Amino acid sequence: MSTVEKITQLSHRIFNTSANEQNTSRTSNPFAVSNFQKNILTEDVFESSKAKEAKNVSFTGNLSAGSKRIYSTFVGSLSDLGSKFYEGIENIVAFSRKVWDGVVNTWNKIQEIGNKEINLEGAKNVLNKEISLDGAKNVLSMDITSLFAKPKEREIAKMAKMDPHSEVKPMLKEALSALEADMTAAA
Amino acid sequence: MDNKNSIKNNKNFNKVSNIIESLAINPNPDSVAVLEEIGTNSSIDEVRELTSRALVKRNEHNSLSVVIANRGKGINDMSTVVAMSTINELLSLENKEEAMKVLENTISSETFDEEVKENARSVKALMALS
Repeated sequence: MSTVEKITQLSHRIFNTSANEQNTSRTSNPFAVSNFQKNILTEDVFESSKAKEAKNVSFTGNLSAGSKRIYSTFVGSLSDLGSKFYEGIENIVAFSRKVWDGVVNTWNKIQEIGNKEINLEGAKNVLNKEISLDGAKNVLSMDITSLFAKPKEREIAKMAKMDPHSEVKPMLKEALSALEADMTAAA
Repeated sequence: MDNKNSIKNNKNFNKVSNIIESLAINPNPDSVAVLEEIGTNSSIDEVRELTSRALVKRNEHNSLSVVIANRGKGINDMSTVVAMSTINELLSLENKEEAMKVLENTISSETFDEEVKENARSVKALMALS
């Protein structure tokens, strides 16, 4: 049997333990009746300690040179598995680093935007240049504070445009008469 | 003081005040005549005070003449509050050129009462110092 065949057989036995176990009936095995769903270990777990001592088990001594090669091959394959596992970890680490870098870049960008002064002067100039319609220009150059003026100021501004004699004078006379009436009533 | 506060909380006083303020900034020169006719002849001190200040704010020859060269009006008002308030407004003017001209005319003219001239002289001295 070649080494490759032996490895195949061994790996087959390792990963398919139940398939190759024999359904052996042993009188010394009390669990043989229940049969463990027909998966009985070939090794006799009730082997006496004396027998073990007699065997004098050695991990190296009883192994043949061929077996050593087989096991070393198997161990080698396991170490390959380990390297693959480490490669996986490295990928995770790289991914985490990429995410972290992304977070740091975003944070730096936010700080950069926060430190910049927003200047609308340029936009205003562009608007003034582009729009040629006088009406629209007037709207843009209009003092927006007038839109938020108090009712009193709005009223004064409105009356300031009226004719003093024909419009304002009667209003003043009327208001003054009402005020004098109030004062007389209060007295 | 209570009377003064009560009148300033009066709705009609606020209306009169707004109308007088609008006449102070109205570009029409007829506004001066309306202020002189109605405002400076009012029996209410607060209304005369507002009117005098409005005439000074206009800072025109005609409006300043009303409060400087007329007996019983502006700086010559019987009410000390009205007279002092008008003087204070004259002192607050950024451009006092026109007011100084009117004061000098009043002082040098033979047509005005000695009392009016004396008041004009005092105000001119104050304005020169300010």
